[in-house]
Amino acid sequence: MNRTILGTAVALFVAMLLLSWVFHGTGVVRNDVERNIYIPEMLTMPLQVKAAYNGEQIFFRYRWPTERPSIYHDVMVYRGGKWERIGASVAGPQPQGIYEDRVTMLVDDGRVPEFEKYGGYLPVGDRMRFFTEEAKKEEVQAHPYLGQKKQQTEVSKHLPQTRSNIADWTSVVPEEQLAAQRQAGYFLDLWHWRAHRSNPIDRSDDQVIAEARYGDAGEGPFFDNWDPENQQPKFQFDPSKVGIVALRWEDLEQRRLGFDDLYYLREDQAAAFDPNHGWKEGDTLPRRVLHPGEGSRADIAVHGKARWQDGYWDVTLVRALDTGHPQDDKAFMDNGFYTVAFAVHRNAFGSRWHYVSFPYRLGLNREADFQAVRFEGEAPAWGQDWYTVTLFYPGQVSWPSLNSERHAGAANVRQGVPLKFRHSEIQLAHYGIEAEFADAIRRQWLYTLVGGLLLIAGFGVAINSLMKKRS
Amino acid sequence: MGAYHAMLVHFPLALWTTAALVIVIRAFSDGPFARAADKVLAPLLLLGGILGLLAYVVGLFVWPFAALSASPLGRNHMLLGTWTLAYWWLLWITRAHLGEMVWEGFNCWIMLGLAGLGAGLLTVTGTLGGHLVSSPTAVSQILRLLGWEVYTTFYLPNFMLVLLVLAAIVLAVMGYRAR
Repeated sequence: MNRTILGTAVALFVAMLLLSWVFHGTGVVRNDVERNIYIPEMLTMPLQVKAAYNGEQIFFRYRWPTERPSIYHDVMVYRGGKWERIGASVAGPQPQGIYEDRVTMLVDDGRVPEFEKYGGYLPVGDRMRFFTEEAKKEEVQAHPYLGQKKQQTEVSKHLPQTRSNIADWTSVVPEEQLAAQRQAGYFLDLWHWRAHRSNPIDRSDDQVIAEARYGDAGEGPFFDNWDPENQQPKFQFDPSKVGIVALRWEDLEQRRLGFDDLYYLREDQAAAFDPNHGWKEGDTLPRRVLHPGEGSRADIAVHGKARWQDGYWDVTLVRALDTGHPQDDKAFMDNGFYTVAFAVHRNAFGSRWHYVSFPYRLGLNREADFQAVRFEGEAPAWGQDWYTVTLFYPGQVSWPSLNSERHAGAANVRQGVPLKFRHSEIQLAHYGIEAEFADAIRRQWLYTLVGGLLLIAGFGVAINSLMKKRS
Repeated sequence: MGAYHAMLVHFPLALWTTAALVIVIRAFSDGPFARAADKVLAPLLLLGGILGLLAYVVGLFVWPFAALSASPLGRNHMLLGTWTLAYWWLLWITRAHLGEMVWEGFNCWIMLGLAGLGAGLLTVTGTLGGHLVSSPTAVSQILRLLGWEVYTTFYLPNFMLVLLVLAAIVLAVMGYRAR
């Protein structure tokens, strides 16, 4: 009898251990779009890169897997007598799959020294857009500099020293200081290729991150096709040029339109919107109009054709080594040494739901993490091997949080210990997710610690009595 | 304090590992060597417990609690460290309280199981400590294969917490009634 009771006590203890093992880590992490939380199924993905340059231009070639390409972006659909927007940036994947794929690259030439160590974490500041605690649109619009002068409506990526307090997005340093920082090269060059808003016209956007994320000076590859006053599009397709006035929603919904079809609206194929046209239910107009752009913002082009084939995007971008726009772009030099970091959006995910990389050192014909190969002629032969990097989902980890007392490595960050020295990509992906549920996980962890102690104590009482009695 | 914690943990690691070895030897042997080894078991466990407690307390000062409790690896290390410490203290109490009785019949197998579990907890705690100082071992790969990614916090859902508390109460009642 005693042996049976003792055996039962041991079995109960072991059963609790096994059940704990089976059910650990459940009950907290879940998608919650109200709080801007959506966890992608895959936490990491590969990206292959090559770079080459001649005397005038530099080429970057990117290749990454995705099950199917997302080449549509937001559209206006005519429904019930009104134009309804589909494809706005949302938390997680756009439900109808109307959100373009993207590849982005941040570039620095050493004048943002922390970037080489912390890469894309550096420009992620306080209360960023699509974070759970994101700043409200009205707050940003009310900011005297960012809102009223720069017409910002959300807190975008920005560099730490553009704020007097990194943990307060509103604390922008004086304008004269911002100008001096820009003059001194304290900005990141952002190459931004979009599968809808730039690729159909073989362009890439060229942006810059300083006190906010801006387009470079000039005009970008797209502009909005929406007239807020009249609640209607500004442009439609010109039937004399392309044979149609609008797309059909069902063609987009069922992904019938491919690379060789008309799924985008180009400025030279557009006509002024005619409200008196007999619009039919399901008529659809792209919400963006594409044009080549001009000035510094139009410095980057697609080389050849960027296409998705056999499960992979293959995109090559080209730019002048020195664009002549030193306040927007980082100039490349033969034998120069730079830091780059990459990001990919895929599967109709937008905004912060991207995969990002560690920072990597790029050498132009110089030893580094990966090399841009020098060649003679018009186009590179791409004879070198791919350089493969692992991208990861970063979650809601910001530069202020990395420097706060809640980050055990904050002292290391202050000392300049590189991110790669202490962390792996998969580790950061998991940390990023846990940061989104920080308080709930911490509470549950404390309860688990105490629960385990109680179990050990109860087991101790049981075996000390039962083993003695048995003997 | 990190360096002192790293230095101090060597003592309980060595003492408890030795204690586990003694338990294995004694569980399978009634010979003079096993009996002689058993004589030092309780002191080994007590010394391990005291030095383990010291290492644990020093470990609490390596990072501020706000940082330790915000890091998945930090949380896991603290969780496993707490359980390991409690568990090995339980082993000492059991051996000190029951004396030679722990080697009689079925009790012997329980001691063997306890030692195995204690060694396992010790290994996992040490592995997590290694991760925290950027010296991970292959043990974390084994844990991954078994279903736990060590970069995620080990925590239980509410229903499991309720079950744990109920189980603890049932176990305590079983022990109390046996008196």
